[in-house]
Amino acid sequence: MSTVASAVPAIELRGLIKDFSVGLRGVKLRAVDDLSLRVPAGQVFGLLGPNGSGKSTTIKIILGLLEPTAGGCRVFGLPSTQIEARVDVGYLPESPYFYRHLSGRELVRFYARICGLGGAKVAPRVAEVIDWVGLTESADRLVGTYSKGMLQRIGLAQALVHDPRLVILDEPTSGVDPVGAAAISELILQLKVQGKTVLITSHLLTQIEEICDRVAILDRGRLILEGAVCDLVGGAERQALIVEKLSPGELQELRGWLGLRGRTLEAVAAPRARLDQIFLERVGRGDAKNPEGGG
Amino acid sequence: MNRVSFSLIRMLLIARNTLLEASRQKLFSFLLLLALGLVGGAQSLREFNFGASELKFLADLGYGAMAFFGAALTIAATAQLFFSEIENRTALTLLAKPVWRAEFMLGKYLGVVAVTAVFCALMTGLLVAVLWSRESALLRAIPDSFTQGRTLRIVDLLLAGYLQWLKLTVLAAFTLLVASFSRTQLFTVVTGFFVLVICHLQYLARDAYAQGGSTFAQVAAGFVGLLFPNFQLFNFADDVGAGIPVAWDRVARVSVYALGYVGAACGLAVFSFRKREI
Repeated sequence: MSTVASAVPAIELRGLIKDFSVGLRGVKLRAVDDLSLRVPAGQVFGLLGPNGSGKSTTIKIILGLLEPTAGGCRVFGLPSTQIEARVDVGYLPESPYFYRHLSGRELVRFYARICGLGGAKVAPRVAEVIDWVGLTESADRLVGTYSKGMLQRIGLAQALVHDPRLVILDEPTSGVDPVGAAAISELILQLKVQGKTVLITSHLLTQIEEICDRVAILDRGRLILEGAVCDLVGGAERQALIVEKLSPGELQELRGWLGLRGRTLEAVAAPRARLDQIFLERVGRGDAKNPEGGG
Repeated sequence: MNRVSFSLIRMLLIARNTLLEASRQKLFSFLLLLALGLVGGAQSLREFNFGASELKFLADLGYGAMAFFGAALTIAATAQLFFSEIENRTALTLLAKPVWRAEFMLGKYLGVVAVTAVFCALMTGLLVAVLWSRESALLRAIPDSFTQGRTLRIVDLLLAGYLQWLKLTVLAAFTLLVASFSRTQLFTVVTGFFVLVICHLQYLARDAYAQGGSTFAQVAAGFVGLLFPNFQLFNFADDVGAGIPVAWDRVARVSVYALGYVGAACGLAVFSFRKREI
């Protein structure tokens, strides 16, 4: 990717407003309210917010599925209302329902051909992305028989089959068990390594914290917070030391040692293992590519 | 960046997927049952030997069944195959790709047209077989009634089937137009049936008002006559059953007439769907 291309943000929203007409009287409901945002190319960007905060509406505007009431939205410098803006975009919708009458392989091939892949390139590329999401063994089963985790994986495969620069994932771990969610997180991190821009919405804040470079938090359509994850959660100025249990005497000595250096011991706590970590250890994160375990 | 122009390939891919969806939803099993029912019904009518008029009766029955079940199939399939995309949110994934909405709508339309083509081909083929075999039997049993030889011409039977299909393509276009702005599948199906009734009966109103109605009524009836196609023009079954040859120029005129309405209805459907929020 050239320097000039990198300078263009993957997504740029300027004063975005989206109103919906509700009821027979056409009462206006503002879903997105004066939203301005830049998603730099090559980053994993988390769009957070409670239900009804305007995340999905914003995504639909980025994808050109909705037109903004006011303001502008550009994808790699192109207005999102232009069909050309979607050429370099892959999209995994929330709770994806794909064509149940197709097999996983047929589904990915269908979207590959829709995206303009043709000839001898199609079959190997389809096989490659199916393998990448760990569904090779189930690729010839009908999508209607897939579990939720498998649906998310095949959704990811169809989103990536044309090798887009921007991947938009709307709640990719919705309804997926912790093993499947962890596997999807790993896939997203691999996308980042490949240099792709990822825009993700999720209610799993731990997952967002682990994989995102930047996040924006929306509430009632408004942007209330935006920044780099490491800046928002803090960290550089504070440290936590985890040691074997200290006796009261040893603890007192430590306080004294720190006091001599002008520092204070702010908190003493017994760290607890996270439940999701215990779950993953016991259920088997190492088996995350197993499609049956994915959902 | 390269301009993304309208793609015939994408449209045909969507059409093929629509046809595949209909076939894997066991829609064709239903059609097969219907066809077998028709054969069974025709066999039972062998008890009645009406001579040559029996063939006309069988032709009327066959083309009548094709018109009735074909219309029901067309309206239901158009509404179902369109709304399944909207309600299952598969349209969301598809239209998030570089796909023109016109490609989506016309692809869905062509898919439904392919479904109706399979239906009409199956029914026409079966009807031709039944009529041909019955006429052969009657020729042997009562040769005096067939002094001129066979009365039925296969090419005319096929043309009558083609025109029934052509009528269904017009009906599918109108149903798709309703679906493009309708919020529910039920509304689309009900309105589709209203359109069917109007298209079948509009000529009656036009004739009645042309003979003695007020100027306003004449203009209104004329407007309705222009807005909705006259489905009676597609009915060649009476002539075919009676052994009257089908005029090719008439077939050509009706084809152009149908094409005009299909073009207009599909154009409006695309326009209506262009800004629809999904």
